[in-house]
Parts: sequence; structure tokens; C-alpha cells
Amino acid sequence: MSDQPAKIGDNWPNLIGKRLPRVDAVEKVNGDAKYAGDFNLTGQLWMKILRSPYPHAKIISIDASKALEMPGVKAVVTAEDFNGWSWGWGPTTRDETPLADEKVRYFAEAVAAVAAEDEETAEEACALINVVYEELPGIFDAEEAMRDGAPQVHDYVDNNISWDFHMDYGDVEEGFAEADFVREDRFETGRTLTGFLEPPAAVAQIDSSGITIYAAKQSPYFIYRQLASCFKLPLSKVRVIQPYVGGGFGGTKNDSTAGDFCAVMLAKKTKRPVKFVYNMEEVLTTCRRRHNMIVDCKMGMKKDGSITAVQTKVIADGGAFTAIGPLTMYLTGIMTTLPYKLDHYKHDAYRVFTNHPVSAAMRGHGVTHTRFAAEIQMEKMADELGIDPVEVRMKNAIEAPHETINGITVDTCGLKEGLEIVSSSSAWKDKDQNKKDGPVVRGIGISGTSHLGGARQRGHQSCAAIVRLCEDGTVNYLTGASDAGQGSDTVLVQLVAEELGLTMEDVTIQRVDTAVTPVDNGSYGSRVTILAGQAAQKAAQEVKRQLAEAAANIWEVDAGKILFNDRTVFVDGDPDKSMSFKKLTQIACYSETGAVIMGKGFSEYGLEKMDFEKGYGNPGVNYSFTSQLSAVDVDIETGMVKVKDFLIAHDCGRPLHPVNVEAQTQGAASQGLGQALYEDFKMREGRTMNSTMVNYMMPLSTEHPDFELHDIITDDPHGPFGAKEASEGSIISTPPSIVSAIHDATGIWFTKLPVTPEKIVLALKEKKENG
Amino acid sequence: MVVFYRRMPRFEYLKPQRFEDVLELLQNSTPNRYRVFAGGTDLMDQLKQRKINVPETVIDLKGITELDFINFDKSSGLRIGALTTVADVAKSPEIEEHYPALAQGAREIASIQIQNRATITGNICNAVSSADSAPPLLALGAEVVCANRNGERTIKIEDFFSGPGQTVLNPNELVKEITLPPPIDNSDSVYLKLAPRGRMDLAWIGVAVWAQISERIFNNVRIGLGAAAPTPIRTPNAEEALCGLDVVSENIEAAAAIASGEASPRENSFRAGSEYRHMMVEVLVKRVLTQLAG
Amino acid sequence: MEKITCNFVVNGQAEEISIPPNRTLLHMLREDLMFHGVREGCSHGECGSCNVILDGKLVNACLILAVEADGMEILTVEGMVDGDNLHPIQQAFVDESGMQCGACTTGMILSTKNLLDANPDPSREEIKDALAGNFCRCTGYAKIFESVEAAAESMKGTQS
Repeated sequence: MSDQPAKIGDNWPNLIGKRLPRVDAVEKVNGDAKYAGDFNLTGQLWMKILRSPYPHAKIISIDASKALEMPGVKAVVTAEDFNGWSWGWGPTTRDETPLADEKVRYFAEAVAAVAAEDEETAEEACALINVVYEELPGIFDAEEAMRDGAPQVHDYVDNNISWDFHMDYGDVEEGFAEADFVREDRFETGRTLTGFLEPPAAVAQIDSSGITIYAAKQSPYFIYRQLASCFKLPLSKVRVIQPYVGGGFGGTKNDSTAGDFCAVMLAKKTKRPVKFVYNMEEVLTTCRRRHNMIVDCKMGMKKDGSITAVQTKVIADGGAFTAIGPLTMYLTGIMTTLPYKLDHYKHDAYRVFTNHPVSAAMRGHGVTHTRFAAEIQMEKMADELGIDPVEVRMKNAIEAPHETINGITVDTCGLKEGLEIVSSSSAWKDKDQNKKDGPVVRGIGISGTSHLGGARQRGHQSCAAIVRLCEDGTVNYLTGASDAGQGSDTVLVQLVAEELGLTMEDVTIQRVDTAVTPVDNGSYGSRVTILAGQAAQKAAQEVKRQLAEAAANIWEVDAGKILFNDRTVFVDGDPDKSMSFKKLTQIACYSETGAVIMGKGFSEYGLEKMDFEKGYGNPGVNYSFTSQLSAVDVDIETGMVKVKDFLIAHDCGRPLHPVNVEAQTQGAASQGLGQALYEDFKMREGRTMNSTMVNYMMPLSTEHPDFELHDIITDDPHGPFGAKEASEGSIISTPPSIVSAIHDATGIWFTKLPVTPEKIVLALKEKKENG
Repeated sequence: MVVFYRRMPRFEYLKPQRFEDVLELLQNSTPNRYRVFAGGTDLMDQLKQRKINVPETVIDLKGITELDFINFDKSSGLRIGALTTVADVAKSPEIEEHYPALAQGAREIASIQIQNRATITGNICNAVSSADSAPPLLALGAEVVCANRNGERTIKIEDFFSGPGQTVLNPNELVKEITLPPPIDNSDSVYLKLAPRGRMDLAWIGVAVWAQISERIFNNVRIGLGAAAPTPIRTPNAEEALCGLDVVSENIEAAAAIASGEASPRENSFRAGSEYRHMMVEVLVKRVLTQLAG
Repeated sequence: MEKITCNFVVNGQAEEISIPPNRTLLHMLREDLMFHGVREGCSHGECGSCNVILDGKLVNACLILAVEADGMEILTVEGMVDGDNLHPIQQAFVDESGMQCGACTTGMILSTKNLLDANPDPSREEIKDALAGNFCRCTGYAKIFESVEAAAESMKGTQS
């Protein structure tokens, strides 16, 4: 293992790698866990948002007088109250206002908000606000939006190009010339979203001490900065308190929502706390979605299966605003150089404004799209060259150490090992015998993919941690990193307890409170375990150093000889000199003038320079590799697909909390399953036709296969105890392996996600008709 | 105007104990005065979303406990009270034995949680084309007994649906019970639902067939389709074509093709296209008939 | 809208409360009686996070008016705890890490109780079917299925 402190005893580490219960488990099963919607402040009002009935329209006037006359209504806010303030990813793209200003750009965009004594009244009052619109022609297709003369969503860009991103490494023309075989295919990903179960909610107050908001945020420090900017307050006066969060997965719960800004503005107007809760249809209609992308992929391959060049052109439907879209375009390009050897690569990505809801980040951010395209195209070409799907992957798979043509450095890589596990399974070896005669046909498919951990953005990158030692030998652990359900609180507690030789019960983690916890970038891009984890280790080590000095004084030995294990402190090689951790703490805290023992730590991984504009350098701290086998049963008469087995071999460096690693792999694969087969927003003139959970079909208990999981241990030098990411890899590997399995069953390569029963039946019919 | 409501609109609530009292209230009612409900699983959702006009008063029928029954008699058949839940129908051993397609249809409705509240009567009164109970009831020859203050009338299930979300019930009328004819020797029924997920989905196509087969001949067949037309439908041509024919795959396939032609699915559904649904009617009718053929 | 006085037994405790007729059982439990273990997810009867057991039957509290439950017994997840001791089903979810964000967990536990009360030794397929009305986006269900199986195992020979 890398980066390890002194080992003590045969059973070290005590906690890392052990199957421990989650630290939040009891509260979540007995009903105690409090989420944003469970908080109520004395005197609170309820807020409701009025939304636009048009996807693209000028707002001519808003008359709220009738609503304000209604008994119980306390205030109404419109764009005017925000005085033109806008927000967004970068200085040139702050194009989103809390409420629609002058025009609405997507269906059900927020236009006004009401605060009233109760939610019923607020809802009824919304219906009394008279908004006069002048409908504008809308644009709902990204490719059409790029053409001259298309309706413009924003005036500040031409041809609705929200952002473009280009990479050019090696010489693709030379690469294609070297190839024996070149293919060009168009791939499309579906319109999907994160699908968390807890809708956005918050209760906010503002007074002379500043803003306090209890908000369902996966990355509380995003909204912290956004509220400070919007309300022109110093950051020290913005207090975001993070309750338990009912799922995040990127996008909506990273960003602020219209509701957050309006609740604070209404609290300001009424001098009362203001609460809101979105409903699920509101989430499925208005919240951030994953970009759906058209990926034109061109690949060159030699007869032996080796890839000579890849060229991708991506057109992404960005929806109405920029949000974090530029980062999506960067990631969807930069990550294509993994996990297969590639000397020539060119990438042109266009994010396009349309009158659709806003596209942003989701688990597997940006990577799912282009990796799906390249993975399927590679296998398709191998298929045509008569090369086995495993062989083509083994041929091209990178081995560590490796540096990609765009400067990504990989120190550990378990891809080949994973592919070996997958291909030595009986499911793979016996796949032709197990095929079954119709109408239900068994198909087996595989994939081999990669993802980054410890995602980097331009700007603030480091994580920090504070370990406060209580005088009874227990520990308060403060971090700005937040757990939206993924289990990071458990892993961070584990790291602190491990370092101090304590048990899980001795360490209590403080959920994020921006008035108390250190600032943190957020919980996205699989960065918490790696970066906040390293900060936790370092903070705990700092406490340990102070305690060791106290112990060294007592025993008159070198502080370097003081060891911590099993709630005990002792001198290395001198077992007589030992005392309980608690006793040492008391001595250290109470002796002479006394001491308050605290440690702080900062992450140091991934600080080297990167070139965001050119897509050069490391987008993350380290890289995971996922090999997957999917077994599906395809009913070739109805097109219904049932996934039977997932075999996933994931290289996360080293699983610190193996149960969480399994759970993350399973959960990400589940979402990948949804994207492969079921989930797709059906849009009609900007309106979402399937904005209920019944109709936006996410996988249920009945859709889930059996999982067989394998950990590949590679001990990366850039992660605590060797850890790499574990929470996103399988959302990338799942769709291509399912599509490959459907090909195995039907003989047809599907290139548009999701692969619906209807697509399968109609494709089989076409194939039959064309002989 | 778009508001995503989380709260119910305001209304009064009545829970009468006697059926006659409800009929009396409805008799002199005006539009939007009353709305009756049994399980409420559809109504509460529609009210919350403001998908229907908000009544002044909702009438909870669950006080009329005598309408909660399953009554089976070999000679007179099956009677299901208006308040009988989907769960009770799904679990009834008599329905499982004599009217299996209906039990299968009931088990396909949404979730256990919904089945515990929703009623079979409510499922047909909501008149959604994809209602899982409708194809079995069509295939099994159900009749709907309706009442108003002045008396009762019986409506064949195939005459009950008048359009998407519409029935032939008058505003002053309520369904009292659903009746099914007595079981006939050598007959059996099957319901198959086509939907992507194992549960919760609305049927993309639902097919129920009741058939009496003796000496490998289709003596009598009734086919009910869900989600294949604006309302649940029978397919009389396919049924007629099969009667008197040998139970062989050629005849089954021919009938399935005829049934497909009798379907008229919506052109612009976001769930699945018309061509696909036509094809699936054929596949499912073939499968159900094949299953019945044994 | 006249308030209606109703009587419930919630988690074994008698409650008399006057409620407006349009208040859902979900909002009554969460906002009047403060049982926030009854979670609000989709509010359309599609996710199961508001599950309670009403007179012995598993239901979605979002689709029921509180007044409909007048005179009935209601069990929420809070009522499954016995003093400081978790119910064996709750303990199994802790032991098997059958949760991530927790938003679905309380509903899952009530669905599990509903299943195991009727079928103490369910197969994996029966578990899948019994939980189909409970949506989970985090776990891929595997650890939930394992929790249910562990609960069934630990409850063998005991009463639920």
C-alpha cells in the first residue's frame, strides 16, 4: 500500500478494508434521519413557484396584485427583485437568472414565486398571478439550432453555440491512412436525469446576521457562493446547513435551484423563514438533465484489431442555459483517450442552446456518451474483421504506467486483469451453448471502460478537514465534503479512526455547515474519498502528532516511537509503556496550562498544472478501470429485454469500505441499466410528455439482475490507502455491455440509447425484410 | 400557467353509510357538486394535479360496507361489489380457479400498495385504455350493474367504455357490482400484459382470452384487448374466425393477425408507436391462444 | 372547509385530531403528528417512500385522505422500534447496508414487513415482486434484497 503510516500488529489496518456498518444506518432505518423537507422554523411561510406554460416566450407583463390581495399571502417575487443578477459556470456564461427575466427559455421555467402562511394558499395564489406572454418560435433540435436563421435562445452567442471545445492530438489523417479499415457511425444517447428520490427542498431565513438555509444539496458550497453573490453578502454571512440528502448523482443537487434564490428573497421581503419543497413532476419537468448527445465517431483499425485513430464530433443539446455544460464538453472529449491506446485523436464538441430544460452533469459526467460510442464502434469493427470482443480489447488496452497522447498519466491499471476475469467466466466461455432457441434469446456482451477519480475543475481544488479531539478521547470530525447517500461519511470516519487507532464509534462526523466546516469544492467527480479522504488522514495525523509529543514527554522517548492502535497508545518495542487513548488525551488536555487539540489537513493530490482549453493534462487524480459482462434475455418477438446477470470487475485501487464499493458499483450499474434500456424523456415542442415516475421508466426491483463483483487491487499511489474511484465506473461500462449483449442476441448493433423494445422489433423486421 | 401542486384542492368530505343515500345525493346534483370515490388512488392523484374539475364535496363510498364482497356461485356466476379491492380479487381462490385471467389482470395493476386500496370497479370507471382489469372482464363476458335512485340497469362491459376516460354512466348513476357468467366446462382464460418493466408500468398491450375448447376445437372464444384502441375492446372478427376451428398453430396465427387488424392504437403515443402495437397484438394474441391450447 | 375530528391509533398511541378534509394522510402524519420517517417522494403513489401500514395493509399515504383513515390503526417506521431496539428488519438493513441516501429506506422496511408477515421465507423473485412499489435509485437493490433475506433468516422461529 502506498502512503501508509507505521504498521502496528498483524491486523493492520484495523478498519480499512473491513465490512463495517454505515455510520448513518441506524438513523436511516428508524426514521430519525432528517432531510431538508423535515426542517421547520418558527413562523415559517411556504413558497410556491409559478412556471411558464411556454417553452419560448417574451414576458410582456406580470400582475400579482390579485395574488397579493388573497388572505394569507405575504409576498410575491419576480425577476425584478433580483435586479438583473445572473449566475453560471464561468465569467462569460452567467446567463441564468433565478426567475425568468424578459423571456422564458424552457417550458415550466420559473417566473414568479409566492410566500404565504401555508402551502395551499401559496399554490392557489400562483393561479391568480397574471402573466402576459408573447410566444416565440422555439428550437428543439440541437442540429437545427446550429443553422443560420434558427430561433435564438440567447443573444450573446451566434447559432446557439453555447460552448465549443476542440482537441487535436497526433494526426488523425495519418492515423486513418495507417488503418486497414475505417468506419464512421452516428451514436445518440438518451434524454435522462439523475433520478434522486428526494425532491429539492429548503427552508431559508435572512436577517442582519446573514442567510441561513437548510437545503438538500450534494455540494453545499456551490449554493453558498451563489447566494453570497446574489444577495451581495460576504461569504462569512452565508450559512448553508446540510441535512441528510436523498440522493444527488450530479446536476440539480450540485447547483442552486430557482426555489433556493426565491426562498431567500421572499424571506428577505417578509422577514419570516420561507420553506419550499418541489414535487416529483416538477423535478422531472424542470430540473437539470444529462446532456443528450449525438456522437459522430470515426475510427481506424488495423487488421489485427489495433486502433490507429479516433475522431469524434459531438453535438450536445444543452437546453436553455449554460450551467456546467463547458465542463461536460471538456470531459466528453478528454476521456476518450482512455482506456485504449490511441496515438491520433481529434475531437470537436458543440454544446447547443435549445428551448429544452437545462443539461448539466450526471454521474459518469460526459464520459458515458463518447465511451459508449467508441466502445460499440470498436467492437463493431472487430466483429467485421472477425476479431473476438475480448481480443480487440486486450489488443488495445493500456497498461500502467501509461501517458495518453493528451497528457493523462495512469499509474495503475487493472483493465486487462478485469477483462481476463470477465472472459474466463462460464457465462462468456459457454455463451454459444447457452444461446437458447427463440423467442427468448440469450445474449452476452462485454465492455471495458475507464473513469476518473478526484475530478478537477479550474480553480479551487483542494479539500480540507478538521479533527477536533474531545477531552474524553472521542473525536469530532469536520469536513466540507458531503454525503448525499453514497457513503462517504462512513469512509471518512473510517480514515480518521484508522489513523488514530480508534473505533468507528469514537468518531462523529459533522454534516456540512458552512459556518463551521471547512470550504470544499463539492461531492462530484468521485473526489470525496480521494481528496477529502487525504485531508481527513492528514488532519488525524496532525492530532496524532500532538498526542505523540505529549506521550513522548511522559515516557521520555522519541515522538516517532509512539504508536496508536486499538484505543491504546504505546511505545514501539516497549509494551510496558502504554496507556489508553482516553487517558493520554486527558493528560494532554489538562496538564499545566492545558491544551486544545485540533488537527487540520489539506489534500495534496492532483495539484499539477492542466490545460483546460486544450484538454491536456490530468482531469482527475487517478483512474479506475471497469470490465463488465452483461447477460440479457431478448424476446425477439416483443423486443422486451431482461437483464439476467452483471459480472463487474472493477479496479478502484483498493476498496477502503468494501460494502460501499460494492454498493456504488451496483447503484451505478443500475443507472446505466436505465440508460441502456428504459429511460428517455419524450419531448414534444419543448414539453416533457413523460414527467412522472411511471412514465419515465427507471429500473425497479424487478429489473435488477444478480450481480457478481470482483475487486481488482492495484494500490494507486495517488489515493488514500491506494484508493481510486468506485462510484461511477459501472455507469459507463453498463450501457455498452448491454448493447453488445443485445447484438449477440439479435445480430443488430443498436446505436441509439435507450434500446427500446420497439426499436428492437422494428430493426428485426427490417432485417428480415431486407434478407 | 404551470404550478406543480403538492396540496389537494379544497373540498368537503362525506362518508355515507347507505348506497341509497349516495344515489339520492347524486340525483339532484349539479356538475362539480360531488365526486364519488372508492379506493381513491386515481381520484386523489387527479385532484392533486388539478386534472379534473374540483368538486365541492368528495363522497367516500367506503362507508357502504355491503358493497365490498366477492360472491361466487357455480350456477349463477361471480359478483364483485363496487368496493372490492384489486387485492381481494387478486387473492380470491375462486376467481383464481374459475376466472384466472381476472386474477392475473388484478395482479398486474401497479403495486401491492395500490392494489390494497384500488377497486376493480374504480379501475374500469377510470376508463383508461390500458386498465389491466378491462381485457379480462371483456374476455370473461362481464356485465356492469349500475344504479340510480330510480332503479338499476345492466350494461355489457364492451358497451361500458365510451371513449378515453369516458364511460356510459350517467352523472346520477353508480356502479353497484360487476357480474361474470358462471364458468363453463372445458373453458379457461389467460391475461398477458406487455410492458417493459416487471411492475408499475401501464400496459403497452394487454390481451385476455377466454376460450372453450373441446376435442381440440375452439367452440367459443372471447378476446379482450387493452391499450390497443382508444378504449379497451373486443375483437369480434378474430373470435368469430376461430370458432369451430381446430386448435392448431395455423388457425391461431390467422386469428392473431385478424385481431391485430381490429386494433386501432393511438398514432402519437409517447410509449410505443402504432405499428409496434399492431404487431404486439398479434404476438400476444398468438401467445395467449397457444397457452390456452395447452 | 370544516375540520373533521378523527381518531387514530398511530404506532400504538391514540390520537384525536381535527383535520381539514383535503389533508392527505401523508401530510397529517408528517406535519401534524411529526412522523417524518414517513417520507414524501413522488406523491403520486409511484415510489412507496410514504408507505405506512393501515389496519394491517400496506398503503401509500400520499393517495389517502387523513379523514379516510378515521378510526384506523397506523404503523409507521417509527413504530417498529421497540425502545432502543431496532426491529429485526431494521437491524437487517443496518447489518447488510441496505440503504444509501435513505429516502426509500423507511418505505422499503414497511414493504418488507408486509412481505415477511405473510411469507416468512420468500424467494428472491418474491422479494423483487414485493418491493416493486418501492423505488430506489441508489443501490441497484442488491443490498436491499440481501437485507430482506437476512431479516427473514433472523426472524425465523420468532414472531414479527
